[in-house]
Amino acid sequence: MEVLNNELEKVILQSVLEELAKKGLLPTQSKGHVMSAAMMHTSLNSDNSSEEMVTFPSLDEMQIANPFNADAVRAMKKSTPARIGIGRAGARPKTISWLRFLADHAVAQDAVFLDVSDEFLKQNKLMSVQSAVTTKDEFLTRPDLGRRLSAEAVITISEQCEKNIQVQILVVDGLSSSAIEANIPDLLPALMQGLKSAGIKVGAPFFVKYGRVWVQDHVAALVNSEVIVSLIGERPGLGTAESLSAYMIYRPNEKTVEADRTVISNIHKGGIPPAEAGAHLAEVVQQILAAKASGVKFNQQK
Amino acid sequence: MPEATTQTITSVGIDIGTTTTQLVISRLTIENTASGTFVPRVEITDKEVIHRSKIYFTPLLDRDLINAVAVSKIVKTEYLEAGLTPERIDTGAVIITGETSKKENAKAIIEALAGYAGDFVVATAGANLEGIFAGKGSGASAFSAQRHQVVINIDVGGGTSNFAMFHEGKAVESTCLNVGGHLIEFEPHGDRIIYISEPAKIALHSSGQKLQVGERLTLPQLRPVVKAMAECIVEVLKTTRLSELTRELLMTPTLRLEFIIRKVMISGGVADYVYASQGPATMSEVTAFGDFGPLLGWELKNCLDQAGFVLEKPSETVRATVIGTGTQSVNLSGSTIHLQEKTLPLRNVMVISPFPITIPDSIQGIAAVIKKEMQRLQVDHTEGSVALAMIGPRTMSFANINILGQGILSGMEDYLSDNKPLILVIEADCGKVLGQCMNANANRPIEMVCIDQLEVEDCDYIDIGKPLMGGRVVPVVLKTLVFNR
Repeated sequence: MEVLNNELEKVILQSVLEELAKKGLLPTQSKGHVMSAAMMHTSLNSDNSSEEMVTFPSLDEMQIANPFNADAVRAMKKSTPARIGIGRAGARPKTISWLRFLADHAVAQDAVFLDVSDEFLKQNKLMSVQSAVTTKDEFLTRPDLGRRLSAEAVITISEQCEKNIQVQILVVDGLSSSAIEANIPDLLPALMQGLKSAGIKVGAPFFVKYGRVWVQDHVAALVNSEVIVSLIGERPGLGTAESLSAYMIYRPNEKTVEADRTVISNIHKGGIPPAEAGAHLAEVVQQILAAKASGVKFNQQK
Repeated sequence: MPEATTQTITSVGIDIGTTTTQLVISRLTIENTASGTFVPRVEITDKEVIHRSKIYFTPLLDRDLINAVAVSKIVKTEYLEAGLTPERIDTGAVIITGETSKKENAKAIIEALAGYAGDFVVATAGANLEGIFAGKGSGASAFSAQRHQVVINIDVGGGTSNFAMFHEGKAVESTCLNVGGHLIEFEPHGDRIIYISEPAKIALHSSGQKLQVGERLTLPQLRPVVKAMAECIVEVLKTTRLSELTRELLMTPTLRLEFIIRKVMISGGVADYVYASQGPATMSEVTAFGDFGPLLGWELKNCLDQAGFVLEKPSETVRATVIGTGTQSVNLSGSTIHLQEKTLPLRNVMVISPFPITIPDSIQGIAAVIKKEMQRLQVDHTEGSVALAMIGPRTMSFANINILGQGILSGMEDYLSDNKPLILVIEADCGKVLGQCMNANANRPIEMVCIDQLEVEDCDYIDIGKPLMGGRVVPVVLKTLVFNR
């Protein structure tokens, strides 16, 4: 079958090349090169045994060949994670910049497509429930389903969670499982400690798989908490795939809109460090409790 | 909880130098520059000088004694002129510079002034700090950040030349040389010597000249010794292997010269003569202010040109130090910090750095190091407050922060038993969570100030002001009270 396919390919290629040569779009002498290159038998899937880790040079390394003012380039590179001062090869990026771009893109995709591991949930003592979504594909294509809990989750929460509390904390995968695994181990204990020191009654935090921000409204209705906090993975970018946001809302109901939520974003080691963010969030939650409002209404009271 | 988005504070800078005394009042604007969904980031966004004093000759009772009463009268007069009272001054600094700072009474005078000039004005001195303030006031620091070029600022005053090198806005090296325009005094517009200072005698000796008080001098006689002094200044920029004369005149270790100097800026009283189009032609021109400042400026310009240094004009010359003192002495802490407002302000807090290299990984280890350091310095039961300064926890993990918090509590047990506040200054962004950890782990409520994102390395004392922006940040003034020699 493969041989047949190859023969067929060869015929097609030859006729295409001849056609191109006739129209003067391909020099006759190049025809042979193109043909042999096209017919080379190299597998697109690389052999696993020869897979090697590639180490990139540090991001702040000078990649411009003859900088007029190297100090200026370094200072500018330091001020942004954007890909500046990377030099060029003719009109194209250098190989190393291009590879780094692809690698960062892969990291971002992994953050979306991988799941938070069971081991991680166990280590952090997080009970797991699922939104109304059943697969990753559905999660990405049906945001509406990610905003409410599955029937099973409703039962689990109703049976196992403490009710009528001041604060309920949710850990939600959202669009980055990497953000959850990178930040929660330092953020959650700091936030819990801060709330506990202030004498606030907090329910046991739990995990929502395939969840979107609004799923917190559904949970709040079940546990009847005053404030509900979602720690959710942000849509990854090429700069970082580990950024987390905290969405907080005071007593959500069916009339709740986006402006009713208070959000603190950019929680990751290159933004606000997760432990410090936990202590800051503990203070914001206390302020929301005192103000009995969140979002724009809360800001107006300040 | 009212939380304004901007706030202004009024800052005063007073510079008492060998020759002149000046004062400026500035208004600093403080603003939360982070967007709505980010954690607040409070920064100083604007610095405006709202009052510049006249330039006074420093009042002296005799050659070694500053006239404190006269100085405080100057301050009073200038406040009146600016329409301000001491109560309306939020922060600032008094800096005693050059030759005057060596005089043994300087410390007492500085303290008397600090009490007079508002609630939070502090005494500060030290040759290196002075040079850094001058470089910030002259615009050298800003120039290095804007043009991405290493700039050295030399503030040449009456008694000393203060060097500060800036790289991307940050002071990287500094030194102080005992060369200034007022080291030999003359009758104004005359040619008769009325005083020769010690450093001038050293310079004269090295150039083989013998001059006495009362002698009359011609320009060709004066030029060699002034030129020798100017050469000393330039030598410091060129090499670390210094001539005997330069070594004798240095007041601190010399520059390491780890950066290539791209531009040279001169500030201070002598600066205007460096940037003049022609030098003084007669003794009367040289001694217009009763010294040889104009000639030193001109000779310095020639020496720099000959050595191939590129001069850049500063935005401030004679007022550089006082403007730097008034606008740059205040630092803001990070915007997520832990404190009780009633504890503040705190003045003259001694800074201790118990972990110069690494932090132990256990609670017991951390506690032991702190205890030992507190005992070594015998500060457990002294009157003043102590601040523990450190870079940060071993890692930024919650576990490590919690261990650090518990270690500090245990190590500071004796100190805290006197009901003194626990003061921590950390470089890493973890002040709020560290404070929270200590609060949660303490067996009783303790007064605590835990601030972050400040470097207090190489500083002996700090003042911590009342919180600003609804408790988000505190102003901190770093002080070096070690007087020269």
